[in-house]
Amino acid sequence: MSSLAAERRLEGHAETLPTSGSDDASVRLLGTCKRFGAVTALEDATISVRRGELMSLLGPSGCGKTTLLNLVAGFLAADSGQIEIDGERVNDIPTYKREIGMMFQNYALFPHMSIAENVGYGLRMRGIAKPDLKRRVAEALALVRLTGVEDRRPHQLSGGQQQRVALARALVISPRVLLLDEPFSALDRNLRASMQIEIKEIQRQLGVTTIFVTHDQGEALSLSDRIAVMFEGRIRQVGTPDEIYRRPADRFVASFVGDVNVLRARLDSVDGGLAAVTLGRARISVSREPLTRVRPGDRVDLFVRPEQVRFAQAGEPIAVEGTVAAHIYQGDHVNLYVDAPEVCASRLLVRSLEPDAITRWPIGARVGVSIVGTGAIAFEAEPDQRGGEPRSG
Amino acid sequence: MKPQPFLRIFVSPAALCALGFLAAMATVLQYSLRAYVPGSLDVGGFTLDNFTALLRPLYARVFLDTVWICFLTAACTLIVAYPVAYALVHAQNRLIKAAILVIAVTPLFLGEVVRTYSWIVVLGNNGFINSVLLKLGLIDRPLQIMFTTFAVVTALVHVTLPVMVIMLAAALAHIDPAYERAAQSLGAGPIRAFLSVTLPLSTPGIIAGVATAFAWTFSAFATPQLIGGGQVNMISNLVYQLGLASFNFPFAASLSVAGLALTFAVLSLLRVAARPLERFGPH
Repeated sequence: MSSLAAERRLEGHAETLPTSGSDDASVRLLGTCKRFGAVTALEDATISVRRGELMSLLGPSGCGKTTLLNLVAGFLAADSGQIEIDGERVNDIPTYKREIGMMFQNYALFPHMSIAENVGYGLRMRGIAKPDLKRRVAEALALVRLTGVEDRRPHQLSGGQQQRVALARALVISPRVLLLDEPFSALDRNLRASMQIEIKEIQRQLGVTTIFVTHDQGEALSLSDRIAVMFEGRIRQVGTPDEIYRRPADRFVASFVGDVNVLRARLDSVDGGLAAVTLGRARISVSREPLTRVRPGDRVDLFVRPEQVRFAQAGEPIAVEGTVAAHIYQGDHVNLYVDAPEVCASRLLVRSLEPDAITRWPIGARVGVSIVGTGAIAFEAEPDQRGGEPRSG
Repeated sequence: MKPQPFLRIFVSPAALCALGFLAAMATVLQYSLRAYVPGSLDVGGFTLDNFTALLRPLYARVFLDTVWICFLTAACTLIVAYPVAYALVHAQNRLIKAAILVIAVTPLFLGEVVRTYSWIVVLGNNGFINSVLLKLGLIDRPLQIMFTTFAVVTALVHVTLPVMVIMLAAALAHIDPAYERAAQSLGAGPIRAFLSVTLPLSTPGIIAGVATAFAWTFSAFATPQLIGGGQVNMISNLVYQLGLASFNFPFAASLSVAGLALTFAVLSLLRVAARPLERFGPH
């Protein structure tokens, strides 16, 4: 591609950027590409992270999220496109001049330095005088609620404590942007939950723009202000957790984020922005947007969340009929899996909050399932596949 | 402990060798405590005279020279080997990696005499360096490079380089590249990141490499013999002269024993110095 064409394309991107305006953007990528040999790790990524927001990059491994993070950090150089931090083009600025704070997956605390030396490292590189440095290190450690460990070595701390040190080390330099690379993957479940809450609180308190890489959709939904869902080197959708969950842009986003049932249905009619889909005896109203190429009578795949289906009560139109195949007891709810091979390629997941669900709908029982609410979304049926599978995170 | 039926069989050859070495060592030790009978290969009664003679300036000088040459060699080898090892570990291209490795370890495959004669060809008065400098008109008459400490150290660096490169590369390869990235993210330029993170983290490798180079150089014989040409004497050369030219076996033995003791002393000193650094060694 000629540079002129590339330029024109960049301008095009600039025009279609979110209305928030460029002065509100802390980190911006414009048509950024990165290839490793024949593999395109990141293709034409355009994204704008607002000042003070926590944006997560969510996707399966190999989707390009770590590549994107490393491009922002400067550990990789973009093949084309532009990367901006605070409105400044940083493509040719090396990592150490980018004023970023990064927390690494395994924390990368310097093993030969004490905790205080680790946290103070960035300040020493900036030539901060000793008394000031000492005060700021103490403040940073207090911020992550870790005091009295200044003289210890990293290997003498627990995983959670090491993470706090890593966070303090990244934050003490008041970075323009904080980058977190799968920060919770090394922690056990309980610790993970409490560290997530804490990091989110600190992030909000400081108002530091944060980019957070994760493959865990639950983590992304609970922590992020906005999520960028990535797949195969492309950003598929950017939106708030609620938008991503309720209005997924495509089949991939719908099935990667949250549990979902994919049901074979038929498009009945269209009316303005809405479309009606028939499934069993039920008629479900969905957005027309993803169905522009589908005609009435054609097959569509209906994506329904487990909380949007329930066992049909008297008088409710039954959408799917099947037999209960398995129960998974979860304490506050029960996941029931229903076999309905004509409609659902895998088992239909129904989430029941009723405490007696297991006895009311025993394995082998014939059940009718109805669709409640208006949250269902229909996409064009995939020609070669018999619907997707419900996935859980 | 699990019963290991083959243990005895497998260990016995090594045990036999060890026994042989031990006997030889005992003989040398025994010789070192005997009186020298001039004009005879037989030795006299037990005495400590050989060791007190070591303190004479002539011999003490050789000891000091040896330690100095070992130190210079280890230091120069480290300076040459570190960048090579770093390049070996961090090269992305497999071919370049292989080329560095082959070039670095080639000296190991050359016989000691062949390698030493090659240096004579390079360093001699009619050698490569002098003829080039003469032809270029930079010098009027050949520089005296042969038979100097410089020449001996140069040749010894060549010998110890492969081991040093391999030991340093092993240490460097174990350092998580995330450390250097973390340093850069915190504002350290490449050189400062290297000096403050990678270099200190590689100290266990440096110490192991220096210790090995030191011990190896301490017993060098052919190189100082041929390139030093009697002008640069190390302990082995002195042992050779006393033992095989003057047939003073007791004194040669006491020199060997003292050299061995000195090696152990230097190595344990290095070890003690390294102890505080070993805790954070490569993970």
